[in-house]
Amino acid sequence: MAIMRINVGPIHPGTHGVLKLVVDVEGDTIKRVEPHIGFLHRGVEKLMETRMYMQNQSYTEKLDYIAPLSWDDLYVNSVEKALGVPVKEPAQYERVILLEFQRIASHLLWLGTFVNDVGQLFTVFMWCFRDRAKIMKLLEDVSGGRMFYVNLRLGGFNKNPPADFKERSYALCDYLEEKLMAYPDVLDSSSIFMERTKGIGVLSKDDAINYGVSGPVLRASGVEEDVRKSHPYYVYDKIKFKVPCTYNGDTYDRYEIRYEEMLESISIIRQALDAMPEGPTVGMPIRLIGPQAKPEHVIMQEELPRGEGIIYLVPDKQRPYRISLRSPAFINLSVLPKLSEGMKFADLFSIVGSLDVIFAEIDR
Amino acid sequence: MNNDSDTTQSNEPPYTKEEFMNAEQEMALLTQQSLMQYQREYVPAMFSKMSDLAKLKLRDIVKWGRSNSLWPLQFGLACCAMELMDFGAARVDAERKGYLLFRGTPRQCDVMIVAGWVTKSIVPKVKRLYEQMSKPSYVIAYGECATSGGPWWESYNIVQGIDQVIPVDIYVAGCPPRPENLFSALMKLQSNIRDGIDRYETRSLSENLQGYESERV
Repeated sequence: MAIMRINVGPIHPGTHGVLKLVVDVEGDTIKRVEPHIGFLHRGVEKLMETRMYMQNQSYTEKLDYIAPLSWDDLYVNSVEKALGVPVKEPAQYERVILLEFQRIASHLLWLGTFVNDVGQLFTVFMWCFRDRAKIMKLLEDVSGGRMFYVNLRLGGFNKNPPADFKERSYALCDYLEEKLMAYPDVLDSSSIFMERTKGIGVLSKDDAINYGVSGPVLRASGVEEDVRKSHPYYVYDKIKFKVPCTYNGDTYDRYEIRYEEMLESISIIRQALDAMPEGPTVGMPIRLIGPQAKPEHVIMQEELPRGEGIIYLVPDKQRPYRISLRSPAFINLSVLPKLSEGMKFADLFSIVGSLDVIFAEIDR
Repeated sequence: MNNDSDTTQSNEPPYTKEEFMNAEQEMALLTQQSLMQYQREYVPAMFSKMSDLAKLKLRDIVKWGRSNSLWPLQFGLACCAMELMDFGAARVDAERKGYLLFRGTPRQCDVMIVAGWVTKSIVPKVKRLYEQMSKPSYVIAYGECATSGGPWWESYNIVQGIDQVIPVDIYVAGCPPRPENLFSALMKLQSNIRDGIDRYETRSLSENLQGYESERV
């Protein structure tokens, strides 16, 4: 049968952003997929060299607009390491709590859109956004911004958490735990969802390691690797949690990993709330920043919702001299041609969705 | 005597200067009215034989219907698209106003919500989408980036506002604007269409004539 070349995107509801795919199909079977990226490129690494250290937060948060706090925290953490600023202990706990809430919010948004792509289960989309709205409300009350919270300062936050922060966080954990229980009942009993995810886009363990993927995509293929365990930052070494791991490496496993991670995040939040000491969490004011940077360069890594993010930072006096970002979503997208080879064309968007790509981060 | 009087009368114009000015104004008024008349005839061709009153009423009905079925294009570029999703989700129930029918194809849509920064490589695609929408189509620049370039103003690959490429009806400020802001923007667009002060109604007369020729329903 003759091979037909189909162009998908760059503006397409199924590609989760501006991704252009050139697909060669033989009948309904995919022979080759070529992703074209770069439609959101705006030179963010270069722009960050022109700004003062703490001004760059408004750039890093837009790298991953589903979980803005994660890249923010990675950047501020690397600047703290470069300038030798210690983080206050209550602030470390609060950062862990907020980061885990952000991870849950990110996975909820992913689940809602993915399920919607796979089988038009709009109910789950509505549920996910209902639960995500609760988290966003808490983060808004803590930081002051609805979606972009530029609330991190060197050594802490811009302000102390509200007085009822702990009670509200506990209540939110209970709420989320209760609501999350309902998701598998709907999804696992849905034959559409199961048939479009089970055995679709299988990534073997060797391939996952060779391609350098990270995060849920790596753990779904049976590699138990998490930066929070292997290179703990903040207080993650004091908190007991397990790294969820599945062994099939297909699309369903990638869903399962993210679901397990949400439950695991709730337990992390509870432990951090229990152990969080009293005290101010306010960091340095912005205008006091400008000490001599000591090291030649800093490499910082953290576990973002999408995988392992790395910042390479060459510090200067007032601003970074050079910044390089290692985006997990970019590496995860690179397995797309491998995964979709031999699959049906209709499964392509199930696979793209399961990788949880985000193009502001990929194109930079 | 008679000859003299005749010559004096023939040298003078048959009207005073004031009368001349009035007549000129009157002519301008008449021209304008006739043009307005032409403008009023902008109704679907099947109704062109009806009386003026019916035409006016029908035009109001068309405006009413148009304002109450604003179907947005499902088209997100960057961060603001997340708020666009929230706009359609459980908390801000946009369906109660009839805004929620997000369509995947531009041919079925009335409103294009440009949500996110517009790079030079995506501009041709955005322009193509706008041209594919059936007229009258409306554009909302949602957020700082679509309005002016936002934080990427200095970047070499950014269009500093989508209004450099396609005409914009409503600008929404914020980074990103809350979903409620989009709600109010759509309500503003709705009332503009209903009152006849949207972009298609308020252009200058000469432009209107060309526009109505090409964009006749």
